Amino acid sequence: MKTVLYVEDNEFNRKIVRQLLGRTSYRLIEAFDGEAGVTTARAERPDLIIMDIQLPRLSGLEATRQLKAAPETADVPIIVITSFALAGDEQKAREAGAAAYLAKPYSPRELLGMIRDLAPES
Amino acid sequence: MGSRQDERPADSTGLASRPGPGERIARVLLAYWPLGPLVRRVARLRASVHTKLLGAFLLIALLLIVMGITGLESIARVARQSRLLDQARERVDAMRQIEHALGLQMNFMRNALALRDDASIESVFRENNRFNDTFDRLEDAAPTAQRETIRAIRRTQDQVMATVVRIAALIRDDKADEAMDLHLSEGYPLYREIATLVTKAVRAEEAGMGRIREGVEATYRRALLLTGGFAAASIVLALGLGFVISWSFILPVREAEGFLGEVAKGEFGRSIAVPNRDEFGALASQMNEMSRELHQLYDEQRRAAHQLRTLNAQLEQASRAKSDFLASMSHELRTPMNAILGFTEMIRDGLYGEMPPEIQEPVSDIHTCGKQLLGLINNVLDLSKIEAGHMELAPSEYVVEDVVNTVKLSLRALAASKGLELVTAVAPDLPLCLGDGKRITQCLMNLVGNALKFTAEGRVEIRVDQEGEHLRFAVADTGIGIPADQIEHIFEEFRQADATVTRDFGGTGLGLAITKKLVELHGGRIWVESEPGKGSTFFFTIPVRVIQEAPA
Repeated sequence: MKTVLYVEDNEFNRKIVRQLLGRTSYRLIEAFDGEAGVTTARAERPDLIIMDIQLPRLSGLEATRQLKAAPETADVPIIVITSFALAGDEQKAREAGAAAYLAKPYSPRELLGMIRDLAPES
Repeated sequence: MGSRQDERPADSTGLASRPGPGERIARVLLAYWPLGPLVRRVARLRASVHTKLLGAFLLIALLLIVMGITGLESIARVARQSRLLDQARERVDAMRQIEHALGLQMNFMRNALALRDDASIESVFRENNRFNDTFDRLEDAAPTAQRETIRAIRRTQDQVMATVVRIAALIRDDKADEAMDLHLSEGYPLYREIATLVTKAVRAEEAGMGRIREGVEATYRRALLLTGGFAAASIVLALGLGFVISWSFILPVREAEGFLGEVAKGEFGRSIAVPNRDEFGALASQMNEMSRELHQLYDEQRRAAHQLRTLNAQLEQASRAKSDFLASMSHELRTPMNAILGFTEMIRDGLYGEMPPEIQEPVSDIHTCGKQLLGLINNVLDLSKIEAGHMELAPSEYVVEDVVNTVKLSLRALAASKGLELVTAVAPDLPLCLGDGKRITQCLMNLVGNALKFTAEGRVEIRVDQEGEHLRFAVADTGIGIPADQIEHIFEEFRQADATVTRDFGGTGLGLAITKKLVELHGGRIWVESEPGKGSTFFFTIPVRVIQEAPA
């Protein structure tokens, strides 16, 4: 069973992913801010991380960079959810070490496809 | 600055920047000679440079003319004295001839007395005639002082001739002894008297000649002195005037040079002090005026630059704030949109089980409205980004055909629902282009979307061809068209041809404004040709290869 960590501060968006993965074999763990995201990832060693770009306490990009820098989480693929706010967001996500990125508003169907690509259900 | 001041001479008369050796000597002269005050006096003369130069030249020329006249006068005097000398010499010659003729007469007389012949008597008369001829010339030429002696000689000669006549008569009468007695008692003493008188006259002439010679020598000396004096005076005057006048010009020029040097370095504190009342003085006062103006301008410019810097800093801060606001706004708006559209999609995908038929339509409506709201948010954010200068193109290679097909695929359903024909005509052989394909697609999408929105029947055509270094996109419709007086406002924000247009056709009127800005960001141009009732054609050009400016 694969574990997916979703770091997002908005309850409704967490709920979407919770319900999206509810019918699959993925186990979902959640974090509400960047710092919590990094600690949870270190503790739980998920198979995939979905990281919102704008988070309280620590930005999604910074959290991604920290996770990619730590040897125990460096190999975990990260999907960065951008807000398509300013030019260069995607570029920044790639540079921080994201395996893929998706702009809000994303299609849940598309997100599920991406999850299955990066961490296939066993 | 400090080293520059050290170079300056100690006196405050000038500010030469690079004095040569000649100038250094001149400055010493100016300091230790009464020339300094003279230079300032000439400078203060209320006359133009032209007049001053002309005056100096005329003064020197006058001196030379006087010198010439004096010389000529000396030459004339010498010539006159030479002539007098020549005349005196001629007279002396004549007297010598008289002496000679007298000698001959006495000789012939002695012969006549010895030989008692007529021929010798005739010779005495002939010599007497010659004596008389010479004497006539001498008498005419003789100076007044000699006249008395000449007359005395003439009188004595006449007495001699009377005696000779008497002697000749006695000789013819063969009274030789009487003739000899007469000769010895009267003739000979008379001859002696004449000889003494002639010698006296010659001495007087020679004394006169000596005086004339002395006079000539004195004239020579005088001429030499005068000419030399005038020449020396001319040289001194020329040098003096040259020095004084040239320095009365050089000083203000040097002063101006130093002054302008300071002004050029942005030091406006000093003003130029030139005593001249000529063109240089006028120039100096104008330079002072210029310096004052420049100073004022410089101050204003510095103030303006300072204000500009402050303003710039404020603007940068504002821009940063705006940029931060845009980022968070974009996120804050998209996060709930994400939930609305996400939940709707999952409902429609049957994630929550089979959807009852009666709620299919409202769910679809929520989805449509959500998408519309998203489009609106995107437009407002795009425009804000462009205006804040944060819109950056992401150029990569793209195929024009793909852009057109994307637009066609997206809007085909809308065209079909309105019963409109959507056709495309892309020129073959278009090269692989470089630009922000997504943004160009957005532009074309906006125009085609508008065309479909404002066309009730007929067709919408997308044409693309190449014109030199540019691609030309055209979107032609058979819609309501745009009134001529609205065409120039059509690309302004929040503008549609008519307020009622918004009511009838919807939309925010941001699409064209964004399209225009995106086209211009690519280095292209957008325009429209339209005829109300017949339709409109929107054109825009995009460089085939967009060269992006380096970010500021």
